[in-house]
Amino acid sequence: MSERKQAAVGSDEKAVNSQVPNSLYEVRKKLHVRSITGAFTNWRWILVWVTQIIFYGTPWLVWNDRQAVLLHLTERKFYIFGWVFWPQDVFYLAILLIIAAYGLFFFTAVAGRLWCGYACPQTVYTEIFMWIEEKIEGDHNKRRKLADAPMSGNKLAKRMAKFGAWGLLSLWTGFTFVAYFSPLDELLRSAASFAFGGWELFWILFYGAFTFIFAGFMREQVCKYMCPYARFQGVMFDPDTLVITYDEERGEPRGNRKKGVEPRSVGRGDCVDCGICVQVCPTGIDIRKGLQYECIGCAACIDACDDVMDRMSYPRGLIRYSTENAVKMHWGMKDILAHVARPRTLIYGGILVAICLALLFGLATRSDLRVDIIRDRASLGQELSDGSIENVFRLQVMNMVEQKRTISIDVAGLEGIRIEGQTTIEMPPAGAESINVQVRAPVSAAAPGSHPIMFTIAVEGDDSVVVEEKSTFIMPR
Amino acid sequence: MMKWIQVLWPSFLIAGIGAIIFFTVVDPQELYFMGEPVHFSLLATYSIGFISLWIICAASSLLTIFLQQGADELNKPQSN
Ligand code: SF4
Ligand code: SF4
Repeated sequence: MSERKQAAVGSDEKAVNSQVPNSLYEVRKKLHVRSITGAFTNWRWILVWVTQIIFYGTPWLVWNDRQAVLLHLTERKFYIFGWVFWPQDVFYLAILLIIAAYGLFFFTAVAGRLWCGYACPQTVYTEIFMWIEEKIEGDHNKRRKLADAPMSGNKLAKRMAKFGAWGLLSLWTGFTFVAYFSPLDELLRSAASFAFGGWELFWILFYGAFTFIFAGFMREQVCKYMCPYARFQGVMFDPDTLVITYDEERGEPRGNRKKGVEPRSVGRGDCVDCGICVQVCPTGIDIRKGLQYECIGCAACIDACDDVMDRMSYPRGLIRYSTENAVKMHWGMKDILAHVARPRTLIYGGILVAICLALLFGLATRSDLRVDIIRDRASLGQELSDGSIENVFRLQVMNMVEQKRTISIDVAGLEGIRIEGQTTIEMPPAGAESINVQVRAPVSAAAPGSHPIMFTIAVEGDDSVVVEEKSTFIMPR
Repeated sequence: MMKWIQVLWPSFLIAGIGAIIFFTVVDPQELYFMGEPVHFSLLATYSIGFISLWIICAASSLLTIFLQQGADELNKPQSN
């Protein structure tokens, strides 16, 4: 009895579950997004240009006769303009990631999903791909018709043209991506003869395919089902966060009416229920149902609705950037701005500023000469024929600047202590060297046991860089 | 399709983060593979490292969605 009941409950659950869109391609309705013009759309396009000029252009920049920004994986060195970072500098990378995270928290708390709507590569590439699609296949109505039409010569030609254009852009994107990690001039040389290294080609195609599939086909589903940020952005929101809002009080009851009719006289609100805000939405939602996690904050619906309001000669802003509190309490922009500074944003902002300062401080005080001294474990203290004691150390020096430098090594701490043999090293630009140094001291200098000594590593011709490293000298019994 | 994404996507993200951390800390030239020093090119080592991590993480995701099946899905063959 109870088992059957359970089975029944189970199948009920199943029925409910099967209504949840659990398939990405089959169940979802392909969106044919209507394109739109307006102030926010212009902003989005400006951001598309800015981000993509930076993305496609950066690998071509030259600095110190080398690629300005190169995360050189095979040299295990990151070149970023005047800086050269080594694996030992991973600390800076960690701080940079924390800054990015807090920046995201901060902007989300203040103005919602600004990142998603304007700067996220997923949004940007989707936008570019949709533009190509519109140029080749026509507007949203034509595209829908084309999608529903049976395969024909015309459809095939349009599809091939579209996929071809997308494909070329994707390849270029993949190539650019790889050029951040592998020197561009080498890549160009391989491209000229079409003889890429196997893995370079693999990553170009991999990233290209990613772009093609994500921006061409998956689009809003990446935001809806795959993006972790989209899932937790809600916790950074509060009633004072600027979000895309439909003014329900002003808009409802929605409905059709003739132009020039005063809406209240026919018992209507300002929304003419034209549905254009839904048609332009890249995630296919209806903002009039309230804030939803699918909304990426692109403001396309604002432009759409403002256009409708203009044509109806109603004031703009039925859909607008506003906050939950502002809509409820009829605040103007001034009150909204006055509420930007509140504990949450002050805390996020304060932490953000503090970490940025820490990073700047770290970069400014970063030593450009790094030394590691390890004593040779195989030979502790060794007595030589002349009566002195020798300890051997392994010196690892990293020259973090891109000039050749000569460094000198000195040792102090015991009476008569000195270095036997080589005391200078020629350092290659942005290179590392390691040498063995034999340190000698007379037996009379100290009692048996270990004694602290100090190495001083200096750069010849540059007094500003001196590194001191402690170690120990062992006197055998 | 959703299942594929649930298996491949989170594992991709974690493998990416994992590979970055692993290869920052460990120099691939100091790795040994089956008792021999790794002799692939660095880029190949990174790539193989990432893809292996991806496969491992994907296996874990696969097991997760396998174990997530409801009782009704498991009972069905007998009851029908
Ligand atoms: S675009 Fe404006 S008027 Fe048209 S349905 Fe949307 S909210 Fe209503
Ligand atoms: S509801 Fe408006 S702002 Fe949100 S995703 Fe859709 S069009 Fe963009």
